[in-house]
Amino acid sequence: MNAGHIQLKSLLIISITNYYLFVTCQLTEIQICNRCNGTVLNNTILGQFCNNSVGFVKGRCCLLKDKTGDPEYVIGLDLSNCSLSNVVDLQGASTAELIDLSFNPIVILSDSVFQGFIQLSRLILPSNLECPGGNVSWGTVKVEGGNIICEEQRNICNQTGQLSLNCPESSLCAPYGPGFFECSCTANHHGYKCLREGEFPAVQVFGPLGATTVVVSILLWVTQRRKAKSV
Amino acid sequence: MPSSCCGYLSQYTHHHLVAFLLTFFSYVLLHASRKTFSNVKVSISAQWTPSVQNDSSPAFSPGETWEDNHLFANMEEATLFLGALDTIFLFSYAVGLYVSGVIGDRLNLRYVLCFGLCGSAVVEFAFGTLVEWLHFYNIYLYCGLWVLNGLLQSAVWPCVVAVMGNWFGKSGRGFVFGLWSACASVGNILGAFLASSMLKYGYEYAFLVTSVVQFAGGVVVFFGLLTSPKEVGLSLESETGLRPVESDTDSHRPLMSDEEEEDEVEQEACDGGYYSIQQPEDSEPPEPSPKAITFCQAFCLPGVLLYSLAYACLKLVNYSFFFWLPFYLSSNFGWKEAQADRLSVWYDVGGIIGGTVQGLISDCLGKRAPVLAVSLLLAMGALVGYSHSPNDQVVNAALLATTGFFIGGPSNMISSAISADLGRQEAVRGSKDALATVTGIVDGTGSIGAAGGQYLVSLIESKLGWMWVFYFFIFMTGGSMVFIIPLVFREVSVMWRDRNVSTHQL
Repeated sequence: MNAGHIQLKSLLIISITNYYLFVTCQLTEIQICNRCNGTVLNNTILGQFCNNSVGFVKGRCCLLKDKTGDPEYVIGLDLSNCSLSNVVDLQGASTAELIDLSFNPIVILSDSVFQGFIQLSRLILPSNLECPGGNVSWGTVKVEGGNIICEEQRNICNQTGQLSLNCPESSLCAPYGPGFFECSCTANHHGYKCLREGEFPAVQVFGPLGATTVVVSILLWVTQRRKAKSV
Repeated sequence: MPSSCCGYLSQYTHHHLVAFLLTFFSYVLLHASRKTFSNVKVSISAQWTPSVQNDSSPAFSPGETWEDNHLFANMEEATLFLGALDTIFLFSYAVGLYVSGVIGDRLNLRYVLCFGLCGSAVVEFAFGTLVEWLHFYNIYLYCGLWVLNGLLQSAVWPCVVAVMGNWFGKSGRGFVFGLWSACASVGNILGAFLASSMLKYGYEYAFLVTSVVQFAGGVVVFFGLLTSPKEVGLSLESETGLRPVESDTDSHRPLMSDEEEEDEVEQEACDGGYYSIQQPEDSEPPEPSPKAITFCQAFCLPGVLLYSLAYACLKLVNYSFFFWLPFYLSSNFGWKEAQADRLSVWYDVGGIIGGTVQGLISDCLGKRAPVLAVSLLLAMGALVGYSHSPNDQVVNAALLATTGFFIGGPSNMISSAISADLGRQEAVRGSKDALATVTGIVDGTGSIGAAGGQYLVSLIESKLGWMWVFYFFIFMTGGSMVFIIPLVFREVSVMWRDRNVSTHQL
């Protein structure tokens, strides 16, 4: 554990940022759950899912809390029958496992809506739309009752036959939503473009350097300058 | 011989050794920090640009890791800016050299030296490390800091040479200065090693380490440097009858490497009187101190213009290798930046050996210009060979050392040749002020040539590619040789004439 003051400073900045993110996230979560009126009913797909997962319903969301004191997060979202025509983003629901957008007259479903939705394993869309990322990104695609059901999101990194997904050096491919991937740095690398490796050994470098400077300065002052006259 | 050898050595005390080492290492640290900048160019440009995709696939996510920095849109623009930074640095360094003489005139040498070392260290820290930690990338900030760095660094060289001039009088100067002028190359080697070891943690740590080491050097110099023997009551060594400027050994005398000469003028300015004490060495009545030659008069002396232009071309090539080599190695062969840094050391090794060997050869021959001309001719061949180097580190290192030998050698020698030739000229025999002024002209022109060259190199590389950069170097080396050829003719005709005279006498 390095206790440089740099670490302390960045820790402070990170904790402050996290606090603000946490607060805004809470607000956004509440926002997405209140996107339209009504609540989740017991006999719907989401209702059953929520019961099975021991979550609790809030507005149109099913929320879960790992431990008391932890922030709650969305595991299910039911926005069916909401008269949505334009879905540009579903902020706050990126942890969801089940999303229901059926029975909406959706005309525009933005490409990047589901970016980051790595837990999403079941998505119900009105039948005029396609599964995000295409059929190859999902294990099962069914058409049922006027809706498309996309199930079992596939890890795009594993698939052959795709355009070669080369992550740059020192990074590994990781799934990032249906049809999306991200390149995250390997274990030892960090920083912008994963260029930096390891932790700078501040003590090993500056310790001997400081000691040498002090010793040499004293030595030289004693042998050279102590008898110097001002000229 | 042995007795004079021992007598030669006995005049030096441990104070001399410390003064030698402290001034040597001051300049080593300065050059090491300059080398750090050139060796991390690849990493810095990677930090400034977003990731590049070959095909039209979408950008990598997450954005913070791959896309968010766009100080420059692509590597080509970043390269151009890096070339501009080199040019800015060299221009402000050249300007600072003139100014620091005036400043050093009024203040203590030791203070000016420490101020230059420590101030430059702080600016480098701000440039490389602080900017990265704060993630505040700004073109104007970079330019401003680098101008300041150039001005601060220019204070160091005149003062180190002045101190050396104080401690080592004419009798030992040739050999000592020859040895001492390896400091630039040693600094390059040290800088290359430091940079390549710290690069994996991030380029900001390379800057951090070199600037802290440089600052520590400034502190040590402050506590340990005696600027002149007078400070400890030692009398200056009596000159042992070496006639000024006439014998060949004196041609080493004034200063071996480029900027050294120029320092003579700053020496007299910097040390406010120490140097002038060395003048009346014989038992002759002291001559009235020679009037300082004016800039125009010095410029019009025969040989000055030619050597200035030759040096401008040569310093351009030398500095371009110094600044751009690691970048070339990693972008052309795809080698990692740390490997490229280590390889670039071989150029400096070649330069040290070249300067020494060619100096010895020209001593034995008694003539400098022919040695220079031959070396420059071979340098053109070496450049051609190096531009076609295969993708093999051993072969590349060997070619690099050869190129360094043939280019670095003349570069180190040209200034000593100038001072020798100029010192012998009828018009200015014995006038130290002419020597200093002339060397100032030569080095100033050289620095400006080098400055212009840096930007040209990055421009040529981004528009035409590396092969054209090598053609440019070959052209410049040829140009340098062209300027030296009249001097070769002059020296050869003198040699011929002397030989005819002696055969006639027989």
